[in-house]
Amino acid sequence: MTLIKWSEEAGRVRLTLPSDLDLPMAQPLLDSLRAAFAAANDVTVQADAVERVSAATVQTLVVAARDSAARGAVFAIATPSDSLSEACEDLGLQDWLKQWSRA
Amino acid sequence: MDDLSRFKQTYFDESAELMAVAEAGLLRLSPGDVDMDEVNAIFRAVHSIKGGAGAFGFSELVAFSHEFETVMDELRNGAIPVTTDLIDTLIRANDLLGQLLGCAGDEIDPPPGLTDDTVAALRHALAANRTGDPPQPVAESAAPPASATPDDEDDEAGIFGDALAAIHAARADDDPPGTGSGTADRVRWTIRFRPKSDLLLSGNEPAYMLRALRRLGEADIHCHLDDLPALADLDAELLHLSWTITLTADASVGRDRIDDVFEFVADDCDLQISADAPLPAVVEPSAPAASAAPPPPARTEPSAVPGPPAAQTTTTPATTSPATAKSDGAKTDGPAKPRSGNSGGDHGGLTTHTIRVDLDKIDRLVNMVGEMVITQAMIAEHLRDLPPGQFQELQEGLEQLAQHTRELRESVMSIRAQPVSSVFSRMPRLVRECATMTGKEVLLATSGENTEVDKTVVENLVDPLTHMIRNSIDHGLEGPEERERIGKPRAGTVHLSAQHRSGRIVIEVTDDGRGINRAKVLSKAIEKGLVQPGASLTDEEIDNLIFLPGFSTADQVSNLSGRGVGMDVVRRNISALGGRIGVYSTPGEGSRFVLSLPLTLAVLDGMVISVGEERFVLPLTNIVESLRPKPVDLHGLVNKCDVMMARGEYVRLVYLHRLFGIPKAVDDATRGLVVLVETEDGSRLGLVVDEVLGQQQVVIKSLESNFRRLDGVAAATILGDGRVALILDVAGLREMSRHSGDSDRARPTATPTPALAGPSPRQRQTV
Repeated sequence: MTLIKWSEEAGRVRLTLPSDLDLPMAQPLLDSLRAAFAAANDVTVQADAVERVSAATVQTLVVAARDSAARGAVFAIATPSDSLSEACEDLGLQDWLKQWSRA
Repeated sequence: MDDLSRFKQTYFDESAELMAVAEAGLLRLSPGDVDMDEVNAIFRAVHSIKGGAGAFGFSELVAFSHEFETVMDELRNGAIPVTTDLIDTLIRANDLLGQLLGCAGDEIDPPPGLTDDTVAALRHALAANRTGDPPQPVAESAAPPASATPDDEDDEAGIFGDALAAIHAARADDDPPGTGSGTADRVRWTIRFRPKSDLLLSGNEPAYMLRALRRLGEADIHCHLDDLPALADLDAELLHLSWTITLTADASVGRDRIDDVFEFVADDCDLQISADAPLPAVVEPSAPAASAAPPPPARTEPSAVPGPPAAQTTTTPATTSPATAKSDGAKTDGPAKPRSGNSGGDHGGLTTHTIRVDLDKIDRLVNMVGEMVITQAMIAEHLRDLPPGQFQELQEGLEQLAQHTRELRESVMSIRAQPVSSVFSRMPRLVRECATMTGKEVLLATSGENTEVDKTVVENLVDPLTHMIRNSIDHGLEGPEERERIGKPRAGTVHLSAQHRSGRIVIEVTDDGRGINRAKVLSKAIEKGLVQPGASLTDEEIDNLIFLPGFSTADQVSNLSGRGVGMDVVRRNISALGGRIGVYSTPGEGSRFVLSLPLTLAVLDGMVISVGEERFVLPLTNIVESLRPKPVDLHGLVNKCDVMMARGEYVRLVYLHRLFGIPKAVDDATRGLVVLVETEDGSRLGLVVDEVLGQQQVVIKSLESNFRRLDGVAAATILGDGRVALILDVAGLREMSRHSGDSDRARPTATPTPALAGPSPRQRQTV
C-alpha cells in the first residue's frame, strides 16, 4: 500500500497532495484517506501543489468529504490549486469545492 | 486468453500504423505554420494508442501516452505555441512511445527511468508556456472551431475506426437540430452523460470531455453524486459519477460537434443528447452504433460465455467481466511507480507481423491463381493423350505441379479468409438492444468464432444473421414470466455457432424458445393465399413457409420484426452467396436455423453435365439426385409442360437443350438423365441432360464483367480442356422455363399436394 505524504499533530492529519493527481494516484489517495480517518477525526488535504487531476481522484475526495460529514469528522481541502479548481469546474463540482476548501 | 492475445496483436499492428501517422505529422509540423488537421491527427493517434493500452492494462504506456496526449491537446487548443524545441521533444516522445509499445509487445518491462527525461521535457514545455499565457477557454473562440474538437474524417482513429465509421454513418442520418430550426440562433442542449464505471480504465477522462463541451458554448454542468459508495466501499479506479449538462450554444454548433466530444467513449457510457429548442426530443446515440463493431475492449469479452443478461440492467453493470479483467491488470502494476526489476534493455521498437494489402491486389492474385489452375488442368488433359509409359519425368513433374498449384490456391484463398468473429462480435449489442425493446431476457452464447471464411462471405453475413437473431428473440423466445411459468429459466438463450463441415461453413442460430407455432404459420399462410386451404403439409414444409416472401406471424408489427421482410430476404441473401438455409423446430423447445455457405466465392464445387456438344456446370449445392426416369413416370401435360413423378412428387421437367437451343442433344428423358435440382426456396426441378460427367472444382469467372448477364446462367468457368462452360443458375432456369413458351400457366413443381389443377402456391410466391 502506497500512502501519500502525511503529517500528524495534535490529532489532526494533514495529507499533502502531490502535483500529479492522475488516475494512478487514485488508489494511494484512497488508501491514505482511509488511513487518515482511521487515525484522526480531523483531516486536511493540502492541495496547493496539484497540477494534474483525474476524475477518479476528485471522486475520491468527494467520497471522503461525504463520509466525514456523515460521521461528524472534520475534513477540509486547503488552498486548492488553480488546476484542481479548474478540474472541479469542468466536472461541475465547483460548489462542492467551495464548500470544503479552506484558503 | 487466446482471444485477448489476438486483439493485442491487432492493437500493436494498429499502433504501429498510428505511430507512423503521428511521426509523419510531427515531421511536417513547423513553427508558425501549424496545420490544425495535422495536430488533430497526431492527437488522435496518441489518444488511440493510449485507449488501447488502457484496455490491455499497459500502465506505463498509458501513463506516458497521457503525458504526450496532454501536450498535443494543449497544442491543438492553441494554448501553447509550436516551437522547434517542442517538435523535437514530441518526436522524441513518439520514438519513446514506439519503444514502450515494443516492450509491451514482448511482455518485458521497459528499463527504469526510460521515460523520465522525455516526461520532464513534455511537462516543461507545458509549464513554460502556461506561465506566460494563462490557459483561458475564452481564447479558444479565436481559434477555428473545427480545430477544437477532432474532425470527422477519422481515418487515423485506428482501432476505433470501425466503430467510428458506423457512428459517423449513423450521424449522417441524424438531423442536426440547430440547422433544422432556422429561427433560433442559440440552441439549448441537454446532455445526460453516465459513463460506465470502467471508463477511466480505458484511458478516457471525463474532465477533458466536459471541458471540451464547455468550449462549445455556455455549459451548466451538474454532477450527480447519488451513486457514490461509502469511503470504505470505494474502488478508486471505478467511476461512480454522472453528469447532466445544459449547454447553450450557437445554432452552428450541431449535434455532431457534441457527438465528437464523446466519440471515443460512445460504447463506454450511456449518453442522451436532446435539444430543447426545435427538433428531435431524445435520440439514443447508442442505437445508431448498433451495427458497429464494438471497440477492442468490448471484443475481449469472453464471447463463448453467455453475454450479460440484457434487459434494463444495461445501464450500470457494476463490474462486467472485461472491467474486472482490466482493473486486475491495472491494479497489479498500476499505482506502483513503473519500476519493476526486470531489465528491458534498449528496445528497438515495434515489429509488425502483418501488412495491409489492397484488396485489388489480392483479387488479382486470386485471379492469376485461377488461371494457373485452369492451365494446369489443361496440361493434365493433354498429358492423358500421351502414350503411357513414356515421358515418365514429365508426368511426375506435372503431378508435382498439380500438387503445388493446389497448395498455392489454398494459400491464396486463405489470404482472403477472415474469422467470422468480426460478425459475431456485433451480435451481443444487437441482442441487448432487441432484449430491451421486447422486454425479454436473453443470453447470447457464441462458439466457433475463429472459423474462417472468405471475406466477401463474412461481409454478407451481417444482415442475414441480424435478421435471424432478431427473429429468434422477437418470435422465438418467450417473455420472462411465461418462461418461468413453463419451468424454463427466465432468460432465454440464443446460441450462435460456426463450424467447418465438408468444405463449407455451417452457421447455426439456435434458441430455446417456444419453437415455430405450426398451426399459426399454416393458418397465416392460408390466409395470405400462400397455401391452398386443405393442403396437407409436413411439419418441415410448414416450418419452411416462414421463408416465403410477405410472410409474418407477428400479430403486431413491431420495430423489430413482423413486417414480413426478413426471412425471405435472409434466404435470398444466403442463396446469393451460394448458400442454403434450413430451419428445424421443436414446439416448446426452440428452433434452429442452419446456414450452410461456401468457404469461398472464387471456386465452386460443381457437377459437369453435357447437353449435346455443350458442357455446363451445376452447383453441387443445388443437386438433389440424378435419375433416369421410366416412361411411366413421365406425364405430358396438354399445354406442353412435362412433369415427372419422382419420389412421390410431381416435378416439372426442363429440357436444357430446348431452353438454350442446343442441337444434337438427347430429347427423350428416358434415354438421357434427369438431374433433380432444388432452388433456394425449396422447390424442385428436373433438368433433362445427356450425361453427367463428374464432379469438379471450378474457378468462377464472372460472365457479367467479361461478357454480359445471361438468363439462367450464374457465371462461367474454363474446363480442363480449355472450353468455356457456363455455370447454371437453377432459380433462373425455372423462371426461363416458365416464360419460354412451355406454358405461362405452369404446373406445380414441388407442391406436396399432387393436385394438378390450378396454380400452385409456390408458383404465386415467386412471380
